[in-house]
Amino acid sequence: MTRRRLLILAGLLLFAAEPARAEATLTVGAIYVGSVNDYGYNRAMKDGLTAMKEAVPGITLLEAENVPETAEAERIMEGMIQQGAKLIFATSFGHQQFAFNLAKKHPDVVFEHAGGWMQAANFGNFFAATQAAWYPMGVAAGKMTKSNTLGFVAGVPIGFIIGDVNAFALGARSVNPKAEVRVVVTGSWADKAKEAEAANALIDQGADVITMHVDSPATVIQVAESRGVYSIGFQSIEARALAPKGWLTGLGFTWGPFMTATAKSVIAGSFKPAMVRQGLGEGMLAVAPFGNAVPEETRGLVLAAVDKIAKGYNPFTGPLSDNTGAVRLKEGEALGNDKMGDFDWYVAGVIGKAK
Amino acid sequence: MSTPFAAAVLSSSVLSGTSLLYATLGELVGERAGIVNLGLEGIMLIGAAAGFAATSFAGNPYLGIAAAALAGMAGNLLLGYVVIGRGANQLAAGLALLFFGFGASTLIGRPFMGAIVTGLPRLALSELGAFDLLVWLALPAALLLWCLIFRTRWGLALRAVGEDPAVAFAAGRRPGQLQYQALALGGLLGGIGGAHLSLALAMTWDEGMTAGRGFIAIALVIFAKWNPLWAVAGALVFGAAEALQLQLQARGADVSPFLMTMIPYLLTLTILVFWGWSRRSAAPAALGRNFFGVE
Repeated sequence: MTRRRLLILAGLLLFAAEPARAEATLTVGAIYVGSVNDYGYNRAMKDGLTAMKEAVPGITLLEAENVPETAEAERIMEGMIQQGAKLIFATSFGHQQFAFNLAKKHPDVVFEHAGGWMQAANFGNFFAATQAAWYPMGVAAGKMTKSNTLGFVAGVPIGFIIGDVNAFALGARSVNPKAEVRVVVTGSWADKAKEAEAANALIDQGADVITMHVDSPATVIQVAESRGVYSIGFQSIEARALAPKGWLTGLGFTWGPFMTATAKSVIAGSFKPAMVRQGLGEGMLAVAPFGNAVPEETRGLVLAAVDKIAKGYNPFTGPLSDNTGAVRLKEGEALGNDKMGDFDWYVAGVIGKAK
Repeated sequence: MSTPFAAAVLSSSVLSGTSLLYATLGELVGERAGIVNLGLEGIMLIGAAAGFAATSFAGNPYLGIAAAALAGMAGNLLLGYVVIGRGANQLAAGLALLFFGFGASTLIGRPFMGAIVTGLPRLALSELGAFDLLVWLALPAALLLWCLIFRTRWGLALRAVGEDPAVAFAAGRRPGQLQYQALALGGLLGGIGGAHLSLALAMTWDEGMTAGRGFIAIALVIFAKWNPLWAVAGALVFGAAEALQLQLQARGADVSPFLMTMIPYLLTLTILVFWGWSRRSAAPAALGRNFFGVE
């Protein structure tokens, strides 16, 4: 055989050998709104995707960090689809519309968006029901505070975030009726300088436990640590590395099981779109390890509250008034998970204006 | 245990306004020489990223300040080459520098994202409070710059170039060289302004963390009528605007948080409207125009 024919034969054999070697592969694309080194939201998403990749064999993961919540996101996701992605995780609230546009254009690709509400045959929505999970955080804060002032730095005051603040306040006041929560809104999910100023402003007002709902807890926790006050983390339980002295506890998203299940369903062809909102009980959220500052008795109270929430206790049960005195929930009424985005009022004990 | 409101707002304003002041002073020097730098935001970002990277690498925040100053200077000299050396349109070149700054700062800062650094330590140099070194040096820097521009030969030549470079050239000055020097000094100050954000305020680096402060600084130069002393007042006012809305929220003011976050920008617009009312402009006459004469 001539050398040329030998080479052509070798090439064809290689070609033919490829499909026989691989198993069911799935290319998964994921876009993050920030950097995965943020000890926060994006880190938690990355950890979940890493867990998914380890749990399901044959997954190729395409990632893009710092994808803005603009039409640029659509271009980046389109690029991933061109590379063969059949499952796209759009991990930030503001990516929703752009992912939805692409879902209409590519009916064979499955999209999962974090934190929104839109749905289609190939578009599902997922997030953790964070609100109730803040209740045990409030319990920790309420027990540890000496000044009875708790500080909360909020990014964008949408209903879900207001709900977080409310559950935090309810938890704190369940163990310490004198505790008050002061809220400062920075206006952006990630403006580090404003977060630092907001945390300082809250500490100036006497807050000795600081927490937050912004993309990255790093800045707020570092400010709290530098001023010697306690901090409670959010988004990723890894944030405790930032506050060796002041860390009390924290919440972190554990997306791994959900993402693994979704990837498996896409591979099996059995994907069903849904509005997934799971909480502490179902494993979407985890409570971080306690810091050294927390005494045994408080740990017990917090864990008891976690257990209560996991078993289905709803802190938003009437009678409940808002911080202007108006009655919002009557005896026997309760706000279900689907109403968490509708909050536009703070419960009694929160100093701040919701809208 | 809580700080009195006025003291809290004042200390917050000073902290917030320091980076604005350095950036304004940097822009001011360049504009006095006749060069408008729309890419100030990019310079601040480069400074912030370089400062944070150097601090994280070397463990010393003061080295970080030096790195930020040098990086800012390099950025501005790049603009200088494009505008003075090649005669490009200043506004377009400035905007190009803006985007370049975004990209370069991301590149520099990416490996250090999430790093924990010891920021600039707070020094209680007087009873007014404990602030970091850059805050203490801000007012002296403005005073020094005022002396430099209005009380030295170099400053006189600089102003001459900014008013009419042809006349300055005829008088024996070298407009190009002076403009390069002004831009170098301006970049140094702008870089330091950015470094204050990442090393003193937030103690971290994030993409685009200046959040428009560079543009507020450009507006502040107009507010300051190109005078470093007025720039101090301007930076303090704008620092206060931002600090005030956050402190008011923490206090529980009965105003919508959305309206509160608008305050600094509303203030910018209001002041620019009223300040621009007078017909006579204090701007250097040749601001924005390139001098193509023989060097």
